[in-house]
Amino acid sequence: MSGQLKPEQASSALAEISRRQEQAIDAMLMPTWYWWSVAAACVAIGAAADSNDTVVRAAVFPIAIGLIVALTAAMIFGRYRRARVRSNELLGGSGALAIVGTAWLVVGVTIGTGFGLRAAGTPVPATLATIVGGGMLLAVGPVLRRILRRVMLANLNGAGR
Amino acid sequence: MVTARFDELIHPPTRLAIISVLATTEWADFRFIRDELGLSDSALSKQLAILEAAGYIDIRKSFAGKRPRTSARLSRAGRTAFEGHVAALQQIVARPATLAQTVRSSGTRQP
Repeated sequence: MSGQLKPEQASSALAEISRRQEQAIDAMLMPTWYWWSVAAACVAIGAAADSNDTVVRAAVFPIAIGLIVALTAAMIFGRYRRARVRSNELLGGSGALAIVGTAWLVVGVTIGTGFGLRAAGTPVPATLATIVGGGMLLAVGPVLRRILRRVMLANLNGAGR
Repeated sequence: MVTARFDELIHPPTRLAIISVLATTEWADFRFIRDELGLSDSALSKQLAILEAAGYIDIRKSFAGKRPRTSARLSRAGRTAFEGHVAALQQIVARPATLAQTVRSSGTRQP
């Protein structure tokens, strides 16, 4: 059959393979709404911290932190239940570095901004800092997704072909 | 080193799509494959049975609570066959260019 297969047909089969693999990887990466939810929860934590109201803090902190933990766990383990990506081979060192680097960048900027604003005497430093951190998460999250997608596809093509 | 080998069993579109998805995963749930490829339960079951009989995939059956779960993963033989098939497709695509290059380098004029 391979002798009868035309180059256009082979090319189309290769394109289909790539399309299906991209589709599977996309289905396993975090969606945009995840970043929005985490950013909103972070801002709620910042606003509660600035409120100086014990009741507000007692109500908001567990809910917001619980939301972040639950969503992240659902993203990781929920997707793991459906399919487990060949993360060790496909993410590799550069993928892991991108995830850790992004997390440190967002946390570092948020904390640094918070301390800086507090030192400057801003009345709501935690709220502003988490807005900055949340905004950064919204900007960096989709970029991280694109980077991971590219790394995984490159490793897949390099390892598997 | 991958040996190019066109695989008749993998090449039909549905099986090629299933193997392509499984090549990105350690294993995948039956529903994940079904939903991603838009297949019916019976169509997917049939194709998975063919691939399992060929030794290209391993099927795992388990329970999540009381619900039965079926998952599939590409076996070593399946991965080797898939990589060989991809290499064979790439060779077919490259064939006209290789031929043209050979003709050019030998100085032969095409009619």
